[in-house]
Amino acid sequence: MHVTQDAGSMPHADEQPAIDVRGLRKSFGSFVALDDIRLTVPRAAVGLLGANGAGKTTLIRTLLGLISPDSGSASVVGFDTRAEGTKVREFVGYMPEAEGLPTNTTAADFVGHMAEMSGLPPRAARQRAADVLYQVGLAEERYRLIKGFSTGMRQRVKLAQAIVHDPKLIFLDEPTSGMDPEGREEMLELIERVYRQLGIAVVVSTHILEDVEKVCNYVVILDGGRLVAAQTLGGLDVIGGEAIVHIDGDQDAFQRGLESQGVTVRPADLEMGFEELVVEVNDEAVYDLIRDLAVEQGASLRSLRTRSRSLEDIYLGTVGEMREEVRHRV
Amino acid sequence: MSDTTSPIPAAPNEGASRYGEVFDRGYAHYDGPREGRRRAIVSLFGYSIKRALGIRKSWTAKILPALLYFSAFIPLIVMIGISALIPQAEVASYPEYFQAIALLEVIFVAIIVPEMLVPDRRERTLPLYFARAITRFDYVFAKIAAATVLTMTMSVIPAIILWLGRQLTADSPASAMRDNIDDLARVILLGTIIALTLGTISLVISSLTDRKGVAIAVIVIGGLVFGGLAELAMAELGQDWRRYMIFVAPGQVYAAIASSLFNSEPGRYVQIADLPALAYYAWSAVVVIGGSLFVRWRYSPRNAS
Repeated sequence: MHVTQDAGSMPHADEQPAIDVRGLRKSFGSFVALDDIRLTVPRAAVGLLGANGAGKTTLIRTLLGLISPDSGSASVVGFDTRAEGTKVREFVGYMPEAEGLPTNTTAADFVGHMAEMSGLPPRAARQRAADVLYQVGLAEERYRLIKGFSTGMRQRVKLAQAIVHDPKLIFLDEPTSGMDPEGREEMLELIERVYRQLGIAVVVSTHILEDVEKVCNYVVILDGGRLVAAQTLGGLDVIGGEAIVHIDGDQDAFQRGLESQGVTVRPADLEMGFEELVVEVNDEAVYDLIRDLAVEQGASLRSLRTRSRSLEDIYLGTVGEMREEVRHRV
Repeated sequence: MSDTTSPIPAAPNEGASRYGEVFDRGYAHYDGPREGRRRAIVSLFGYSIKRALGIRKSWTAKILPALLYFSAFIPLIVMIGISALIPQAEVASYPEYFQAIALLEVIFVAIIVPEMLVPDRRERTLPLYFARAITRFDYVFAKIAAATVLTMTMSVIPAIILWLGRQLTADSPASAMRDNIDDLARVILLGTIIALTLGTISLVISSLTDRKGVAIAVIVIGGLVFGGLAELAMAELGQDWRRYMIFVAPGQVYAAIASSLFNSEPGRYVQIADLPALAYYAWSAVVVIGGSLFVRWRYSPRNAS
């Protein structure tokens, strides 16, 4: 599956792709972790979705140049992951999910050290460490030992070390894992700020669909090592969704009229009100059909409101389709 | 640094002094030099040394390294001082000195080396390191270099001070230095071999555990027990192969190298082994190369992520 996208609304869409994957395959023994992944991702805020074992971590590790693929190739921010692994990592940041910080050192020392580990000279590294710790809200605490930090503060240190060398792209692995609701909100705001204001492309690997909906404008869905979808989120809102229609008139006739035009319609459930119809909108022309049919049947259109497909709908729909397809092939 | 993305200065108070102004520093992109792998390796090397010595950590982390340095340097300075005041007093020979300080060196590497390696595994910072501009080999190389250099501060520097002290207390220091410059080279060679081999053995042991205490105990107790058993076997067993037991006792290997370098009378176990000097140098090379490869294997993606 090769997907390119309408990225016109994205701040950095005009630049070279952040990630370009060409037929990537990686297996561990008989387990296929990545199966012929073909993908071009713009410099966007990308949500990488998938269940456990879907291949998210293997994909990230391959893109970081830490794992060699069995076949295929990938380039990240313009560098080939196989031949230029260290160069990729010089310009890419990574925030792992696992608690992984030295406890007996200060945030400033550690983040500064990580900047040097990405190739920055010592003086610039110290300066950058102070700057990014300020950006993530740890200016006051930067000279405190990390062992005294809360979970939220540690996550901020991890984010700071990921951006300290001014990368072009950062991979965030479950960035809100283990955080309380308030801390989670703050982390999501920070991630959005990293993308919107600092201009750094972001790939957020997560199970939490809501996090992706909040901060991402592009989604990549993996399932069982296969690419299920890679597309803009905004685009899906426009073309996908439902219209909730309330008419004064013969509702059954109205439903039959729409169905005769090939539109999928069902009566609304109890939650919405029995007098309403739920019309699937796959094309802008459906709205014209509703209007014209109302005129033709002499029914008054009392209300028409749209409901976008949630990311959960998209996720469940695309993953379900892919599994069905695989089952069918087998 | 330049190309400020969001330089949002807070509205300045026209009448305020410039010292009272508050600015949002915004975020500046970095367009300075990027020194890549070389800088990363140097940084990891320096950070490992600082961490092992407790620099920029709480004062309690500095106590043990400081005590060990005192234990190595103070007796040495006292010995040189006595020989300066009492010319008849015998100063230890280099092989004697290296033998005397061997236990201290083992304790030193046992304290220092696990501190360089174990916390990265225990605190799970390895994914952060391997996501930077280094390879796994670079990581292992930087750690071995740091362990060796730090151990050299205990094995080479005191020996150089001893050499210097001997020359300065001679009747004609300048000519003594000229005459004995070969001894300086031998002292540095022996100290470096000790640092490389002890450092590598300690790294191998440290790479096998996530607990510093375990690594320290295995290095110290293991070193004493294996060394003792090897010496016992060499002394008591009648078979010819007992001579090779010397390779299980690093202290005796160092004694053999010292004896060959300084043409001194070999000790009992070195005499029992009766091996050519080349065998001891080969042992050192095997330990360093084999140990490095082992540590690299321990840090392969399969074993450490």
